[in-house]
Amino acid sequence: MAGKIMSLTEAAALVQDGDLLALGGNALTRIPAAFVRELARRRREGLRLVKTAGAYDVDLLCAAGAVAQTQTGYVGFENLFGLAPSYRRGVEEGSVRAVEHACSTVIAGLRASAYGLPSQPVAGLDGSDVAAHTGFRQVKDPYTGESVYMVPGIRPRFAILHVTYADAEGNARIEGGAFEDVLMSRAAESVILTAERIEETAFFVEKPDRTAVPAFMVQAVVHAPGGARPGGCHPFYDIDEDAVGAYLDSASGAESLRAHLDSWEERDYAGSAAVSGDVV
Amino acid sequence: MSTALREGASEEVRAAADRMAVFLSRFIRDGELVFHGVASALPMAAMVMARNTHAPNLTYLNIPGGVDPRPSFLPGSTVARQLMEGALSYFTLTEIFDLSARGKLGLAFLGGAQIDAQGDMNLSFIGDPAAPNVRLPGGAGSAHILPTARRTVLWRTVHDAKSFPERCDFVTASGNVDAVVTPLCIFEKVDGRLRVKTIHEGVTPDALRAATGFDLGDLERASTTPEPTDAERAALTAADPEGVRLREFI
Repeated sequence: MAGKIMSLTEAAALVQDGDLLALGGNALTRIPAAFVRELARRRREGLRLVKTAGAYDVDLLCAAGAVAQTQTGYVGFENLFGLAPSYRRGVEEGSVRAVEHACSTVIAGLRASAYGLPSQPVAGLDGSDVAAHTGFRQVKDPYTGESVYMVPGIRPRFAILHVTYADAEGNARIEGGAFEDVLMSRAAESVILTAERIEETAFFVEKPDRTAVPAFMVQAVVHAPGGARPGGCHPFYDIDEDAVGAYLDSASGAESLRAHLDSWEERDYAGSAAVSGDVV
Repeated sequence: MSTALREGASEEVRAAADRMAVFLSRFIRDGELVFHGVASALPMAAMVMARNTHAPNLTYLNIPGGVDPRPSFLPGSTVARQLMEGALSYFTLTEIFDLSARGKLGLAFLGGAQIDAQGDMNLSFIGDPAAPNVRLPGGAGSAHILPTARRTVLWRTVHDAKSFPERCDFVTASGNVDAVVTPLCIFEKVDGRLRVKTIHEGVTPDALRAATGFDLGDLERASTTPEPTDAERAALTAADPEGVRLREFI
């Protein structure tokens, strides 16, 4: 029954310094928060992050000095708290290289990899400085002669996805918005799941069309109830604004960041590492 | 939290938030496919409001993918799960980009930290992009949607010379801008340049010029923006009773 279930610590150890990671969820919703906290505790370095719209996850890894590069369309705390302070500081000081994307070009790069292609044509970008700044090249379509931007493939080492339900083998169901998680799973070399609940495989047999990620793509499954906190996760909990605010207060210094990580440790390790089917 | 929002905001901020939400909603045409993205509390309120006033047949699209949601409350994060509640179908962000690329997205609302005289916007860098003074969040989908959506309306809750320069420090996105809504005025784009269409009540032309970093030209043709009507105010309050729109001003 153990299947691919492992502890949060064991799963985080699969990630090597310098890896390219796609982080699932969007902004403060269904983010792999417990997993990124564990990466910070393990003092990973030189990570390269891919995401359409990031917030706590990208900022916390920047605060921990774990990030060398980001490929994102947006990183911030929206109208709740504004700019992402540690991401901003990392980019402004030069320790984090922000590869400027639109959300659509992140998707295009992931699509290229998912389709097994080196690059992907993308619409839009006309009149924007993003293409020149990032180095997206134009080619002529061989049939119409129309100019089109090509986005190079983005092939993450892992897609890190916090899902609603998974079984021990890695079949995963997502409730609510799936964002780019499914595409990330297809674009990445492998997938690490953290899951709110571990279900019996029969749960997935009932509605196979609802299985967003099939087990054969998945390397590791972590039982992580509350694993998206302080973000929200449908249908179990909403964004905890006070806890996001507490993070932002702590992210400015190494000691306060350590205290933040410590304060979450018990909850992050609350999942059952050796799970039987009835543990939910 | 929400009550504190309303009570903590000054009269001036509440008036500006109400005006901007109502003015944004007026750009929505009945039957249109309308999209807002991340960090978009004002357009979210405007879209929910418009559905209950002049645009009952709009199709509401958003990043979580809920088509025509009926959120139990308006969330502070505009990609939160409430935007899936009561939705009739599921249409992802990727599909919304593709829809826009096919020329079928009707109207999108997009914010900018800088909006320049050409109607181009910047959400990327202040200062030299190679060594920025400020790293902004990034433009999310704007570089794709501005040139591909049929119409876009931009908004910015701060109207000062830095926010409205002759040229952006970096052009994150450029394209089919119909209008720009600010706390002071509404711009329209005419022959590739922003022109003041209407000035909000109580704002003098001199104050507007002083607060804008590019030449506004002749303001004689600009009329006064019609104030929100009682019916619009009531619809806005019903759509956003908690005052989530105020978050854009804090």
